[in-house]
Amino acid sequence: MFKNKINRRNFMQQTGVWAAAAAAGTLPKFARAARDKELNIYCWEGYNSDDVLDPFRREFGAKVRAEGLTSDPDAVNRLRAGETKVWDLVNLNNPWAREMMYPEGLIKPISRERFEPMYKDMMPAFHPPYSWAMDKSGKDLLGMTQRFGPFNFVVNTNKISRSMGEDQGFNIFLDPKMKGRYGVLTYDNWNIYHMCVTAGVDPFKKHSKAEIASYAKVCKQIFNGAKLLTDDLVAMNLAMINGEIDASFTGGTYTASPARFDGAKQIRGITPKKGPMNGKGGIVWIELTSVVNNPDPSGLSEDFLAYVQRPDVSKKVAFAEGTYNPVTQMGSDKVMATFNKEELDAIQWDTLEEEMSNSTDYDINPDYSEMYDIYSAAKREREG
Amino acid sequence: MAEGNTSSKWRFNPGALAAIPASVFLFIGFAGPLAMVVGYSFMPAKTFSLLQIPTLENYVSVVTDSYYLSFFWSLLLASISVFLLFIICYPMAYGMAKLFGKWANLITALIVLPLLISENIRLFGWVLILLKNGILDGTLKYLFDITASGLLFTVPAIVLGIVYVYLPFMLFPLVIGISMVPESLKEAASDLGASRWQIFKEVEIPLSMPGIMIGGILTFILALGSLAESKILGGQAVIMIADDIESSFTFAQNWPKGSVLSVMLIALSGIIVFILFRKIDLDQIIGRR
Amino acid sequence: MTDRAETFLELKGITKKFGEFTAVNNVNLQITEGEFFTLVGPSGSGKTTMIRLLVGMDQPTSGDINLKGARLNDVPANKRPTCMVFQSLALFPHRSVGENIEFPLKIAKVAPAQRRERAHALLEQLHLPLDFYDKGINQCSGGERQRVALARALAFDPELLFFDEPLSALDFRLRKALEKELKDIHRETGKTFVYITHSLEEAMVMSDRIGIMKDGELVQIGTPHEIYNKPINKFVAQFMGEVNTLEVEATGPTTVRDINGEGDFEVNSMPDQFNRGYLIVRPEVMKLGPGASGLPNILKGKFFNDYALGSRMQYQVRSSSGDQWLVERLQDEVFEGQFGDTVSLGWRPEDSILVSD
Repeated sequence: MFKNKINRRNFMQQTGVWAAAAAAGTLPKFARAARDKELNIYCWEGYNSDDVLDPFRREFGAKVRAEGLTSDPDAVNRLRAGETKVWDLVNLNNPWAREMMYPEGLIKPISRERFEPMYKDMMPAFHPPYSWAMDKSGKDLLGMTQRFGPFNFVVNTNKISRSMGEDQGFNIFLDPKMKGRYGVLTYDNWNIYHMCVTAGVDPFKKHSKAEIASYAKVCKQIFNGAKLLTDDLVAMNLAMINGEIDASFTGGTYTASPARFDGAKQIRGITPKKGPMNGKGGIVWIELTSVVNNPDPSGLSEDFLAYVQRPDVSKKVAFAEGTYNPVTQMGSDKVMATFNKEELDAIQWDTLEEEMSNSTDYDINPDYSEMYDIYSAAKREREG
Repeated sequence: MAEGNTSSKWRFNPGALAAIPASVFLFIGFAGPLAMVVGYSFMPAKTFSLLQIPTLENYVSVVTDSYYLSFFWSLLLASISVFLLFIICYPMAYGMAKLFGKWANLITALIVLPLLISENIRLFGWVLILLKNGILDGTLKYLFDITASGLLFTVPAIVLGIVYVYLPFMLFPLVIGISMVPESLKEAASDLGASRWQIFKEVEIPLSMPGIMIGGILTFILALGSLAESKILGGQAVIMIADDIESSFTFAQNWPKGSVLSVMLIALSGIIVFILFRKIDLDQIIGRR
Repeated sequence: MTDRAETFLELKGITKKFGEFTAVNNVNLQITEGEFFTLVGPSGSGKTTMIRLLVGMDQPTSGDINLKGARLNDVPANKRPTCMVFQSLALFPHRSVGENIEFPLKIAKVAPAQRRERAHALLEQLHLPLDFYDKGINQCSGGERQRVALARALAFDPELLFFDEPLSALDFRLRKALEKELKDIHRETGKTFVYITHSLEEAMVMSDRIGIMKDGELVQIGTPHEIYNKPINKFVAQFMGEVNTLEVEATGPTTVRDINGEGDFEVNSMPDQFNRGYLIVRPEVMKLGPGASGLPNILKGKFFNDYALGSRMQYQVRSSSGDQWLVERLQDEVFEGQFGDTVSLGWRPEDSILVSD
């Protein structure tokens, strides 16, 4: 069961990250020797599962090392700190490639000729040219999408109906009746965005003093009203299933799917119908895998990108260890055919399109660092 | 004579020579990272290089911010846990050292065995026990119609977790400490009129002090830096300092601030240990002086 | 032997069993107030068990221990007005000399100033410098620790002091000195001392009376003089040290015959119903050479060995029947002879000791 605990924002994995950081200095020396048969992947969990990597290793006779990452900005900072020498592929949420990594020369474009046709097989929303995969000029293709999902909040529908959640949106967490009845999933970066949304503020723009003040007020209220804080989606789902709490502040298909796949269908990710982001109340994340601008590049980078687009591999990425997510490749019938009804139900396939239409894409918050300090102080000063 | 010659030829004794590899390893693996943490604590906030002009800004911001709350909670919970651990472990250790005989080995095995399992999994076991409608609540409800919900995600749950996880680290030093007390000294004290309590206070406690100190310091330091208990059992009912350190290095991407908090935690632990060792002279107890 | 009214400590039918093993078997004993009584026995004779029963660390399986007529059995060790100096001394290593001495006073809640005064007095009484008060136990020598242990026991002011071979770990010279000192302290304090040791010699130096233990039983009780001169059996006679022992049978009212054919010997008196037993002659009463002439008990043998024991000399003679005889002489009356000389050996009838077993 605990194997399933691994999740993208699980910071118990820190040790691994530190080990990688320590190795960073020495790795390139021996890495240079056989770069044709070697591939280093720095990614959100899913791509680093052996189900995905082993067939690739066999087929290409490659030595593949994959390291799970724990936060987008963390990963970008490490590339900035010189780890472009280490990694060949990096898998991050949508905004970073286009807004930061490509302008800073941390990644390089992939062959449009080879990969653009693959976008045509994806779900309609991702048909080419898909803006997050393109540079700002629209000329270069920066990576391939795969997993995605709405990420807002999760409820136990036996206690809070889906329609009530969708209609009231994040306001339900401000309702005094909800005090002590919800948990905060401490994926801190997501919480900052959603606390903005709760305060009626669009997180993805520069903020006024007044907006930050109302954000700060929401931070305090959300923390003070929370029954528990955890970064463990299994613990959060368990608390909801057992009735300790009725809702999780932030969460989505990503966190609800393991419980749903285990039969707890009452656990459901909710996307609010309206909100402050040009009227939209939900946020959706899309992962993009890009080729790192490694001075000594591996010859296998693009082959791997193509490999993971295959229907059977796409399915393995979607249903990797611990969490289950839709993949953009589900626009293809061949990929769809690999999913059964139970699996589709786990990832809330029935409402996915509707939720997507109510969501805006994950983006960069220019005030993240200031908001983080406010957020962490509110967490620390939380009144039990 | 011959001995004089060898000692002048060999400047280092064999012990020092043999210790060189371990020392080098320790220096690189232990002192090195520690020095890096100290170094980062003086770097400008939210930067990732050690080659910048040192600044005290991180220390100022940590002191003026509300981090004292996390320090306070960590210190309080560590102190309470150590106290409880002592109360729980002393009788157990006494039994294992003096009373249980061959059963003590079995008990030792039973206590050591869970250490092979990840701490997180064991704590998660407690979640299942304490959870509303969990093992405890469900059983009590079924048998006696009593509800025992509301135990999880509280400060006492964190203390329970710390006490549970660090029990062996208090117990085994105590077993050794208590078995160091010669029976004859207790008999002598009794013979000189001391009651059971007076023997405990005047002879057993002071003479098992090395074990008590080691167990106490070990568990205090471990509890001070504990995180999983607060996260898994406590639902972060309070934020421990280790949590702040972790967040600083990860979500906040502020290595210098995380380093400041680490340095302060290490210094705090060091000061406490230093004061304790000053107050209690282990050498004297063991009888080396 | 002692008047009932004077009996201070009384043991009645004390038996202690550990499972099947009987460590102490039906011991009866009366000790008078102010007496220095020593229990002597080889290791395993039950003397340590005895003292543990007396101190209260163990309970007898049966029998009564009475102190001044009151039953002591059920009084726990810490409530008994008795105190023991341990073989290991059992000094508290975490306390200074002064704190060790004051321990029983602290337990009795005596005020610090008085405790200190008493500790100083005891240091003086035991010939320890006053600056020892602050010394650590582990800074003291063996003899000094011995004194501290005794001072601590005296600080308790017990009615009865027990000693469990406290001198056994010391070297010979120091042991001899402390034996005498202990006797002086006994006299000065007037307290009742019960001492156990495996050395009859040590017991002789200090004790008013001695009890000899063997296999959990009290074999003989008597003054050092009685034990020395009238051992009740071969075991007691031999316990003191090397003696000449002959297996004999009675041939007349005051004569015995060695069953190995060594000869007929005269004794002064014979135990009741003595038929067959042992004739004991201590080496120091034996005469050798010219001194032996004219004695009723006389035999010849070949002088073949000698040992210098410091103040005394020992000589070995082999008689014609093959027995080896031991003779002891003080240095000022050494025997001048050559190995191989045939010499006369003899002793007076009153120096013959007859025991039946």
